[in-house]
Amino acid sequence: MIDLVVVGAGPAGLGAAIAAAENGLKVCVLDEFVKPGGRLLGQLHEEPDGKWVNGIEEAQKLHSRAIELGVNILCGVSVYDLIKLPTGWCVYTTDKTIESKCLLLATGASETPLPIPGWTLPGVMSIGAAQVMGNVHRVKPGEKGIIIGVNVLSVAIARELQLCGVHIENILLPKPGITSGDSANPEKMMESLLRLTHLAPSPLIRFGGKWVSPKLGARLFPKNGFKMWGIPIQLRKTALEIVGEKQVEGVRIADISATGEIVPGTEKVIDADFVCIAGGLTPMSELAAVAGCSFSYVPELGGHVPLHNEYMQTNLGGLYVAGNITGIESAKVARAQGKVAGLSIARELNALKDHADEKVSEAIAQTIETRRNALIQFQPGIEEARTELHYKFYESAEKRISI
Amino acid sequence: MSENRTVICRCEEITLGEIKETVERFQCSSREVKLRTRAGMGPCGGRTCRGMIDRLVEQLGGPAVSNEVSLSYRPPVRPVSFGVLGGETK
Amino acid sequence: MKSMRVNDHPVLGSLEKQKKINIYFDGQPYVAYEGDTIASALLASGVRTLRKHEDKDTPRGIYCNIGHCFECRVQLNGKNTVRACLTPVENNMKIESNISLSPTSLKGGTL
Repeated sequence: MIDLVVVGAGPAGLGAAIAAAENGLKVCVLDEFVKPGGRLLGQLHEEPDGKWVNGIEEAQKLHSRAIELGVNILCGVSVYDLIKLPTGWCVYTTDKTIESKCLLLATGASETPLPIPGWTLPGVMSIGAAQVMGNVHRVKPGEKGIIIGVNVLSVAIARELQLCGVHIENILLPKPGITSGDSANPEKMMESLLRLTHLAPSPLIRFGGKWVSPKLGARLFPKNGFKMWGIPIQLRKTALEIVGEKQVEGVRIADISATGEIVPGTEKVIDADFVCIAGGLTPMSELAAVAGCSFSYVPELGGHVPLHNEYMQTNLGGLYVAGNITGIESAKVARAQGKVAGLSIARELNALKDHADEKVSEAIAQTIETRRNALIQFQPGIEEARTELHYKFYESAEKRISI
Repeated sequence: MSENRTVICRCEEITLGEIKETVERFQCSSREVKLRTRAGMGPCGGRTCRGMIDRLVEQLGGPAVSNEVSLSYRPPVRPVSFGVLGGETK
Repeated sequence: MKSMRVNDHPVLGSLEKQKKINIYFDGQPYVAYEGDTIASALLASGVRTLRKHEDKDTPRGIYCNIGHCFECRVQLNGKNTVRACLTPVENNMKIESNISLSPTSLKGGTL
């Protein structure tokens, strides 16, 4: 039996493996993707000071450090079941079965779909899929693309695709309806765009600074969108349907009012050979469910998250969580959470020599600071949502003891 | 294409119209929608559509999205051959 | 056909010369490079359709590209079903789709 199995070789999983191995623990990291690094691999963006953050390089640093520390990393391996043992956990994988004292689930997130007529056609993919194709596999998803869904991720990845030589025709809203909710509402989306202030060059900051409120901004939003890096971002146009016989050929769009109603008579079809759907991210917590964790539904964190405390412990002995599975944030926060989890696990297994509690507390403080310093706030209210979640964890733990 | 023909569950190709009809007729939960329409029962294990089904059911007058995960995950959550299940190693 | 490969990238740099290998999809040969997944190799050659829906006959390709959605499932060397987006290519790999098979007659397919 080894000390720790980590499911997911992204920044959280590798961060945890490193912290655990630095304290002498025997760690195995599993990932079903072809190489380690998780979704950090596809990330590429420019900081305000002009420096590029290259996810591939960051992932390589984490990977090298983990290997140096003797961590065993297995890629192309999927976990299909988990069972609690009296002395730990049994992890069933497509390669072999592994038993360990502790288990960390760092499985990240999956993309939230925005169902639109025609979205099953070949050539329609999630925005993350396009990022992985371009930056990780170095293959263009197509020549001319349209992105449906206006948010931090779609705007950032549009830029990344452009750097790959892909022409992005438009970024626009999904059609209003029961399946799109707020994502089809110009005012709500204006609000989220105003939080993208770090994305220099300054057109957005200048633009954003002018508007007094998202409502006003949505009303005065230019009908032809405003451009970032030459790509029109449209809050007054909506994608009605993706068209094509055997694969994507185009998107049928229409103008919409500031409150999200379709303007009759404005429909037209724009050509495209690929379409990206950008609906946001949802924690990928299926293994936590299989293990039998309790959950909490927290919209600010992206959906159902496994109940856990500030030490990244779930309500099941020896089972920890870290990264986007705990709620959607940045790669930096994921990595900081990974460190907390790794140290907490080392403490549980009596491997933290001196000042154990201080080391863990410091890692927790670092996570909070990383979150506060983040340039992009994916969602407002994350810190409050997390505090509430930790409180809920202790409340439910108390309930079980008192029964 | 009318909104009702939008595919919600990609794996089983279950449309919005079918889900709406089911919720309206049976006033049911996500779990019952899954059992009646097969939405969420395909090869992806409901990974892609479960959130959408939960929210649709809530908006169509069914139960609100609860804290617990509504569509159960049944292992194996990834496809695995009988050989591997039986202990065969590569 | 214009190359779909991003050989030179302003930030990520130029791709080193990767080893060229051959793969077969539904009997057709395609050029791939070591390090490709089946999905990326086929997409680089302009192939978007990997499958069709087993009942409804609609064409499908990659959606999530990271192994979550299972849309990209293909058959490998006549035996296993794999996710094209997670499977690295190997020389002379034979990949088959279900495109030539008839859909089931249960839910609207025709014989």
